[in-house]
Amino acid sequence: MAETPPAVEIRDLVKDFKTSFRRVPLRAVDGVSIRIMPGEVYGLIGPNGSGKSTTMKALLGLVAPTAGQCAIFGKDSLKVDSRNDVGFLPENPYFYKHLSGAETLRFYGKLCGLGGRILKERVDELLALVDLTGARDRRLGGYSKGMLQRIGLAQALIQEPRLVILDEPTAGVDPVGSRQIRDLILKLRERGITVFLCSHLLEQVQEVCDHVGIIFQGKMIREGRLDDLIAIEDQTEIVLRDAPPELIARIASLVASTPGAAMVRSGKPRTTLERLFLREIREEER
Amino acid sequence: MNTASHTPLKGSHTGRILVIATHTFTQLARMKVFYFLAIFAVIAIASNFFDLPQHAGPEALGANVLRSIKSWSLGAMTLFSVVLSIVATALLLPKDVEDRTLYTILAKPVPRLDYLIGKLLGVLMLVFVSLALMDVLMTVVLQIRTSMVLEQQEAMATAMGWTQDAIASMRVETLANGPNGSLQGAVFAVFLRASIMASLALLISTFSSSTLFTTIVSFLIYFIGHFQADARDVYLHAGQAGEGGVARIASLLVSLVLPDFQLFNVIDAVIEGQALPLLMLGKLTLVGLYYAFFFTIASWFIFADKEF
Repeated sequence: MAETPPAVEIRDLVKDFKTSFRRVPLRAVDGVSIRIMPGEVYGLIGPNGSGKSTTMKALLGLVAPTAGQCAIFGKDSLKVDSRNDVGFLPENPYFYKHLSGAETLRFYGKLCGLGGRILKERVDELLALVDLTGARDRRLGGYSKGMLQRIGLAQALIQEPRLVILDEPTAGVDPVGSRQIRDLILKLRERGITVFLCSHLLEQVQEVCDHVGIIFQGKMIREGRLDDLIAIEDQTEIVLRDAPPELIARIASLVASTPGAAMVRSGKPRTTLERLFLREIREEER
Repeated sequence: MNTASHTPLKGSHTGRILVIATHTFTQLARMKVFYFLAIFAVIAIASNFFDLPQHAGPEALGANVLRSIKSWSLGAMTLFSVVLSIVATALLLPKDVEDRTLYTILAKPVPRLDYLIGKLLGVLMLVFVSLALMDVLMTVVLQIRTSMVLEQQEAMATAMGWTQDAIASMRVETLANGPNGSLQGAVFAVFLRASIMASLALLISTFSSSTLFTTIVSFLIYFIGHFQADARDVYLHAGQAGEGGVARIASLLVSLVLPDFQLFNVIDAVIEGQALPLLMLGKLTLVGLYYAFFFTIASWFIFADKEF
């Protein structure tokens, strides 16, 4: 059986931009490699201008890599057919204000070759998914920021893509709208859709992603499974079910009798993704 | 990295182009561009009152007003169609980039050429529908006025004792100034000229950074197009330049890239009541198609490698 290709494979991506004022080109992305397997939710985090959006654009063929390669489900990103299986929500998108929510979805659906009853059903299904059925015939000019993001997410899903790329999906959205989008991402994960997102909201990334990458000044400085990254290396967590107090006491005494070992506390030792992120950035700056 | 072989895109090129074209048409229509038709109606009706009182005989009676209606109407059509073609095309592409709607479109399986052709076709659909509506209005006004002029002429000629043959001959001459096939051909020529300008504006907007720049440069080329043939003639026939092979090649290259709008002077001849031969209309169609194709392909070459 043929091996399943990764949903996203970015290998040694380098992107230089020519600048009008300086002769030296600006290196926005410097040797970034990312591999996302089908069904994973991957969060790319980094400060403004660190190269997150450029990486996503290179993956979508909106910019051409200076060096390296990008592929979606094994298809070269510079080829149009790689976009058959991908949906994209850019940061702060402004869709056509003269179209209603349903018209917007029909427009993008037709661009993907959908039509007739299938398209109609898909539009109805997606409007229900993003909770915009009541606003389906209202023009986007009258939509709130949160509604725009949700219709944007719906258009990204119109052709039932296996991969969804979200660039700052909750930027500028209020906490309620932000939570709705987070819930939608979780629904996508349940459906087995691969999600590649970048966000500044680290807590949200921590809630929805199973893999993360930290990008800083165009370089990938840390990457891996979220659980591994935020684990505290010199501590061990033992999770017990229905453990009686006597057992806990015996474990505590066993630990006390072991040279060099100590019971720090019971419960789940955790740091936050935010702390990890800031620590990594600080170390990189030194 | 092993990349799998090419898989076909869902849907056809024609389908995608039509979706983008219809959407562009709707977008522009919802910008209320058809309001200018009210201005055109005023122009078409007002042109009825430009009848100069210099009637030497029945054959001249009302001829001026028919010419005036055609002249004002075709002039207004040219103005509206050229302005619409340039401004609408110059506006749409940068707006899609600025609003990032282009990202969402190009992130779908949409080849960049399909997007460009769709946008151009959408503008051309709008110009075509606008011209068709203006044409209907002009034809109705001209038809009514021609009937009135014919009645007046016949009454005057009969009173002056003209023969039936002379009256019939005058009638043919007057009808040549009324709504006829040549006039419809002239309207089509106006559309062809607007199509060239729209595709030129599309080309400029693929590398221009602002709508204003695209608009100004497009209008400059439009005006140059009206003089470039004269300039070439003067250059080629002045002194020794005309004998140089390099000068001739340079001249040929200029005409390949810059449209010669003097070819469209046939519109003025139609206003004067002359017939527009089908052969000439065919030539204009070929010229229009050549420049639209050339500018669109050139746009694609630039747009295909453009980064966003």
